[in-house]
Amino acid sequence: MWFGARPELYRGRPWPSWAATTVWAVAGATGGAGLLAVIAGLVDLLGAGDDTVPLLVLGGSAGLFASVLAVWVRPPDRIRHSHILCAVTGCLILFILVVAGFLALTTPSMSLTDALFQAAAMATTTAFDIGAVDANDHGARFLVGGAQWLGGVGALLVAVAILPFFGVGREFADNSRRGGRRPMAPNSSTAVRNLCAVHGLATVVTLLGFLMVGVDPFDAVLLAMATASTGGLSSGGDLESAAVQWVAIAGMVIAGTSLVVLWRLGMGRSRNLLRSTELQTYLGLLLVAPAAFLLWTDGSGLDGIRRAVFTVTAAVTTTGFPMSPGGTWAPAAPVLLLLLVSIGPMTGSTGGGFQILRHQILARVAVRELLRQLHPRAIITARLRGGTTAEETLTQVVVTQFLFVSVIFGTAGAIAIAGFDLATSLTASVHAITTAGPIRTLDGSLVDVGLWPTSARLALIPAMVVGRLSVYPAIVALGSGTAFIWQRLRLRRRSVVAVNHGSVGGSVDGFNQ
Amino acid sequence: MNPLSRFPFGNRWKSTTASVLGMALLFVSVGMTMATLVALVDGADALALATATVITALLGAGLFHIATPGSRNVAVIFNAVGITWVITSVLGALPYLFAGTFATFGRPWLVVLADALFESVSGFSTSGSTVFGAHNPIEAQGAGILLYRQLTQWAGGMGIVVLVVMVLPSLRSSGLGLIDAEAPGMGVDQLTPRIKTTAARFWSLYLGFTVAVAVGLLLAGMSPFDAVAHAFSTASTGGFSTKDASIGHWDSIAIEGVVVLAMIIGGASFALHNSALRDRKFGYFRDPEFRAYVAVLGVGVGLVAAFLVGDQIGMVRAFRSAVFNVVAFGTSSGFSNATAAGTPGDFAVWAAGPQIVLLLLMVFGGCTGSTSGGVKVIRLRVGMAQAYRSLRSLRRPRAIFPVRLGSTAISDSMVERIAGFMVVYGLLVVVGTVTIAALGVDLVSAFGGVISALGNMGPALGEAGPTASYADAYPTPARMVLAVLMLVGRLEIFPMLLMLVVPYRSFDGVARGVRNRLRARDR
Repeated sequence: MWFGARPELYRGRPWPSWAATTVWAVAGATGGAGLLAVIAGLVDLLGAGDDTVPLLVLGGSAGLFASVLAVWVRPPDRIRHSHILCAVTGCLILFILVVAGFLALTTPSMSLTDALFQAAAMATTTAFDIGAVDANDHGARFLVGGAQWLGGVGALLVAVAILPFFGVGREFADNSRRGGRRPMAPNSSTAVRNLCAVHGLATVVTLLGFLMVGVDPFDAVLLAMATASTGGLSSGGDLESAAVQWVAIAGMVIAGTSLVVLWRLGMGRSRNLLRSTELQTYLGLLLVAPAAFLLWTDGSGLDGIRRAVFTVTAAVTTTGFPMSPGGTWAPAAPVLLLLLVSIGPMTGSTGGGFQILRHQILARVAVRELLRQLHPRAIITARLRGGTTAEETLTQVVVTQFLFVSVIFGTAGAIAIAGFDLATSLTASVHAITTAGPIRTLDGSLVDVGLWPTSARLALIPAMVVGRLSVYPAIVALGSGTAFIWQRLRLRRRSVVAVNHGSVGGSVDGFNQ
Repeated sequence: MNPLSRFPFGNRWKSTTASVLGMALLFVSVGMTMATLVALVDGADALALATATVITALLGAGLFHIATPGSRNVAVIFNAVGITWVITSVLGALPYLFAGTFATFGRPWLVVLADALFESVSGFSTSGSTVFGAHNPIEAQGAGILLYRQLTQWAGGMGIVVLVVMVLPSLRSSGLGLIDAEAPGMGVDQLTPRIKTTAARFWSLYLGFTVAVAVGLLLAGMSPFDAVAHAFSTASTGGFSTKDASIGHWDSIAIEGVVVLAMIIGGASFALHNSALRDRKFGYFRDPEFRAYVAVLGVGVGLVAAFLVGDQIGMVRAFRSAVFNVVAFGTSSGFSNATAAGTPGDFAVWAAGPQIVLLLLMVFGGCTGSTSGGVKVIRLRVGMAQAYRSLRSLRRPRAIFPVRLGSTAISDSMVERIAGFMVVYGLLVVVGTVTIAALGVDLVSAFGGVISALGNMGPALGEAGPTASYADAYPTPARMVLAVLMLVGRLEIFPMLLMLVVPYRSFDGVARGVRNRLRARDR
């Protein structure tokens, strides 16, 4: 159970599922943010140290509050799937709000809406930087890096540990299930432990790489957190340096690789690893896309190749480290980058996007439909990873695609209302839902979202949240929330009608339903 | 006995494809003949049109004479429909080539050839995209070519193959498959027990509707020639016009009103029209797809009008532009009411908000069994219902929720087919956009062009707005890609993608035979 809460420790009636999951979500968000604030407060001592006390006090209070909540809650007998998804979404939103508060506290020049946008970008690992964090403010800089790292961990928890239990991409987590074994995730707690270990190790390896090429230790920590989480928001390190870029490329490639693959590599079980079509596609994209990108930009020589590889890797892994175009870009270059961020990295990584495995499933659905046209009565299954993909998974992926596209157009519409042109609106919404960033114009130059009106920036936040949660949990939460409110309103209306008709019993029955 | 009727070695050629193609070409030659007659009166391009007519008619008669319908399996039907549309579109370019319509000064012959082919494909697929423009105005063309251009849309609207099924003997049960493969939507409503009678019923409704539109436009103030010409492209939701400024040329509320009404009717199911006429009862709103179709148009008008009113162009003008453009996009007609570039009806200069609404309408399309393009409202409706069911299933994992359309439960296999169609559609959009962009087109024009081509829309967003020419907006290779996508969109993807299965199987069979023979010889 979460936060050490075990049913046997509690007496009395268990809480309803929705109440317990809500409290857990609040405890998780405040606890995570509190821990981050405490560390940031201590890190601030490396600089001026003026934010140390408030961060320690607020972080400590938040942590204490979270602990009290975690002990107070009485786990229900059965937790409903939809409540877990709602809790995950609520946890992320609350985490954003709390981190925004800390950020506004440590950076007085930042307005509350700016802090909210920046916190959302951090927690969802989207590289939208409004450039308001002071380079000398160590506490705030650590908040940026830490929130990204925690956001990456959260995405892994959703992708690898939580979603598979709903049949949403059960195949995504670990394909060795076919042999009756699930070495990485025999149960949920082991899965969480293993994925945190692998993610932590990947971060440490990246950190060592940055240290080896001479990056300042504090900057290296921030860069490593931004790279491992595919966040791309870094206020430290010289990203224009060739050596730093090569380390960042390696770090991004690791971050975009499925944790299952990394785990198997770590356990020395790398045999047949390259037979995975998803890994083949991922590596193929990383090899072929830079060549196409180089063709459509006027880069040349080793420097041009490095810039192309860096830009493309940042796009495929949805890290989004900013890199200004070195020369003139053909119209196809930004389209290629947009396509790459939409494809995204491997499933089970910290990256965003629609992810390669889902695209492979969509391709199988397309081929199956073509075959069905020719053989209308045949029973045709979609095969992937050597086995038949469950019909339920196919449906979920198709529905996810439908919702993904709907959110893109909805967000684009909201940005367009703020007065932006069609290209910028569409590009920004794609970057938001894929948690990639930064936004580029049609000639490849970078868009400074710091200059955008508040309404346009706020319009990006829901898409970032939906994208970070792989669409489903956020939509379920929205649906459940709406249904909950609607049900309450309907019951209240019925009770009012009943009271007006002089029947109080009816209203009581109504509320009890 | 006619020696041509025995092919190739004594037996008559059993080929459904050749048989259907032959008859289709004969029908196209009839249209060309009508245009030739008008050209004779007008005095321009008569010889070019007559030559094209003779070539097409001879080819059609020859094929029809030597071939008889053969196999009726699905692959053969896709092959027949796909090949018929491709060859018809290629031969449909002959009048433009012979008349030198696009051979303006300094244009390479390959570009002229591509332009003629593009205009022909755009016509037959009822897209309405055009390579005419300021460099080569529509109004500078002769009446014969203009009428022919409109007739291509009219023929493509209800479908050439439907026409063939109506008259071609010995098709038997494959007639339904042929119509099904060509008709927009998720299958064809068989109006009568006999498929030939159903085809005839569809065409008679279509003819009657066209006549009604022509009369309406005439009464609204168009000249007889323009009224007939626009009736062809309005009934087919095509969008070609005899004027450079399209409907905006007249700047008349009455004409726009008739066109809007006709577009809405053209975008609705012809099976519904048939029921309404048969039962003498306005039962349209009992159909869930029609309700969704009207709701989409209504919401679109509301949103676009709200955006345009904010642009300070006046309430009436904003509403008029919104209604016309939303209906033109929602029915994939593609007419424009912009009097000139930059005027209120020119959506290319609108803000991004209403442009996104138009983009979505291009994808949505009209109803199943109509002349419109796009994904079709019913598919989106079912797609939304499926998404809703999927989310509800997460909340209540053990419950069984059917996907409903109105009061009817949709079978899971149908839902899967719709999902498959939408996935293939999405993949085509992505692949098409990247391909067009790789040919040097910016993101919005590439994306807008692909959506427009697949939805048989006509004008697109970006550089190919309502007052722009595709010749200026896209390079020649990109226009060819768009032409292919127009045909893919008109036939709703699968017949075009699968039409090469039969040739592939034949080739594979021959290759296997050769391999076996070589192996036997080696032994």
